Amino acid sequence: MFRTLALSLAFALPVPVLADQTGKILNDHVLSGFDELAVSSAALSNAAQESCVASSEPLRAAYATAFDAWTGVSHLRFGPTETDNRGFALAFWPDSRGSTPKTLSGLIADQDPVVDDPEAFQSVSIAGRGFYALEYLLFDDRLSALGDADYRCALVQAIARDIAGTSRAINQDWQTHYAELMQSPHKGGVYQTQAEVLQEFYKALDTGLQINADLRLGRPLGTFDKPRPKRAEAWRSGRSLRHVQVSLEHLRTLAALLAAGDAELAQSLDIKFEAALTKAAALDDPDFSGVATPAGRFRVETLQQTINDIRTEVTQLLGPTLGVSVGFNSLDGD
Amino acid sequence: MATRRGFLAGLAASSFAPVAGWAKVGAPEFLSAARSSDDSYHLFGLTGQGAPVFQIPLPARGHAAAANPLRAEAVAFARRPGRFAIVLSCETGVILAELDAPEGRHFYGHGAFSSDGALLFTTENDYDAARGIVGVWEARTYQRLGEFSSGGIGPHDIRLMPDGGTLVVANGGIETHPDSGRAKLNLPFMQPNLTYLSVEGDVLEQAELAPEMHMNSIRHLDVRTDGLVGFATQWQGSTADSPSVIGLHRRGEAPQLLSAARAQARAMDGYGGSVAFYDEGTRIAVSSPRGGLVQLGDVAAGAVVGQLDMPDVCGLGVSGGALRASTGTGAFWAATATPRVLTQQPVAWDNHLVRVSCG
Repeated sequence: MFRTLALSLAFALPVPVLADQTGKILNDHVLSGFDELAVSSAALSNAAQESCVASSEPLRAAYATAFDAWTGVSHLRFGPTETDNRGFALAFWPDSRGSTPKTLSGLIADQDPVVDDPEAFQSVSIAGRGFYALEYLLFDDRLSALGDADYRCALVQAIARDIAGTSRAINQDWQTHYAELMQSPHKGGVYQTQAEVLQEFYKALDTGLQINADLRLGRPLGTFDKPRPKRAEAWRSGRSLRHVQVSLEHLRTLAALLAAGDAELAQSLDIKFEAALTKAAALDDPDFSGVATPAGRFRVETLQQTINDIRTEVTQLLGPTLGVSVGFNSLDGD
Repeated sequence: MATRRGFLAGLAASSFAPVAGWAKVGAPEFLSAARSSDDSYHLFGLTGQGAPVFQIPLPARGHAAAANPLRAEAVAFARRPGRFAIVLSCETGVILAELDAPEGRHFYGHGAFSSDGALLFTTENDYDAARGIVGVWEARTYQRLGEFSSGGIGPHDIRLMPDGGTLVVANGGIETHPDSGRAKLNLPFMQPNLTYLSVEGDVLEQAELAPEMHMNSIRHLDVRTDGLVGFATQWQGSTADSPSVIGLHRRGEAPQLLSAARAQARAMDGYGGSVAFYDEGTRIAVSSPRGGLVQLGDVAAGAVVGQLDMPDVCGLGVSGGALRASTGTGAFWAATATPRVLTQQPVAWDNHLVRVSCG
């Protein structure tokens, strides 16, 4: 862990603090977030080596911290996160076909020796890797007790180590070259203009809001006749609502940085984020099981609407300031 | 919107209504859905010069339509994930029938008629099973006759091949569920394909892009008279990696994306909206509303050779061999080397110009 920490600090320090908008987004939002992910994931891997039993409090605490860190950067799905499918290897959700429990059951039943080789483990299906796979092993009644305890232990350690490795790789790419690349757009480059760079962040903001409204809240809501509380993200660990809150906090920072040139818009967005976070804090339904009751459902729907309101303002007002067209067709997508 | 009773009344009416060819309704060459300035939605018939010859109210935002090859009847589809499609008489504006997607299904917004106009095929989502479906409807009473697998997830555009007996479906590969709006549920595992099916539903051939292009969702189609299929894709990967969004496929061969310079591919913003062959099939065009441009490809060379700037463009079609384009700003363009606006209407033209093949 200390080695990783030292390494990430060494990479974090030389990045110059730039006054421009891209530089501020990178420093205040991106680099700090991925550094936190790398550090907390390394701590998670260490905790798993110390104690791999599902009920271990230090392990669960380290898991929570690292998963928080991922949730805070999970909307930044481009560049280093997309290389080699790293984002999906850390976080494969939603899992509409139940691939994660299937993959894990298969590994446990076969006592697959792939857990002994970190490099080979990268070839395991993304459904059997990352934070959601680890959640099954730590919190699911069936999988946390399935098969041989020693093998399960090795699997927990392998997944935690793999999470640490993937997070470290993402962080290194950001610190060593991708931040630089976004700060120096040029003709023929990955980003040709500063506008393209800001549009990438804008897309991350918009998609992040959509994931909160349509997936994190929309999936458990289902329909009035058929609410689906068991489709909530990370309900086994009781983290469903927390992910919405952590994500909104980080998206709020990004929105403020993107709207920096328009004080009125920045303030309006901030008020909307505040409203959503206040509603979320008052929800008192950590795993969204409340969607099964009409009153609980109504409260989650209200939160969803508040997030959709933010999204509308982002697309209608923030987008145009960054050169994103808001045409009838360009906004539609089909 | 028509009620169940209206549906039955329409059904009865259509059985006795005289058959009207498209000539009686001003011989439109295209159908297009649009939003009017008062936020109402209509289906328009347009001449090849972009002049409206009829307009019929729609209950909500449309997407594409299908034109009956023999009768002046159009099926207008709701925007995904709509549960309805309506059959309109383009002569009277009367709703002749209403298609309700079966329980657990929604339409994707595209459909195709059989060459004799007797059957309608619709792309649908069996969303709890995440299975693409082609629905089969009798095209006079619009009773559902049956359905078959589309050969993939997320079927979008569907066309009848020139042989009259084969359907080609663009299975976009993306799983969605109405509970989650339009959010994409399976990006890491998505596997788009082109599937050729007999009208009875037998899979005749399937074609996929190279593995590294598995996030390039195949969505919209045009078919040349010799059976060459042109397709437009929507890239789901990182913007920085945006590949070409135009491709060609001939049965028995591997599909190919048109080669494009990196900057050209980036300019489309990973998003092809509509596709059309033109200039007697020697050229192919793909629109990108996000990029605000139409990119032009040389079919024989398999390469992008030019582009036209058009804000919020999406619909593409051909009139007299020449390319036409419609935009969300109400412009209808002659998309020649020096494009010019043929008509400007106070509407927002929606995604597609649908060709009316006069019987």
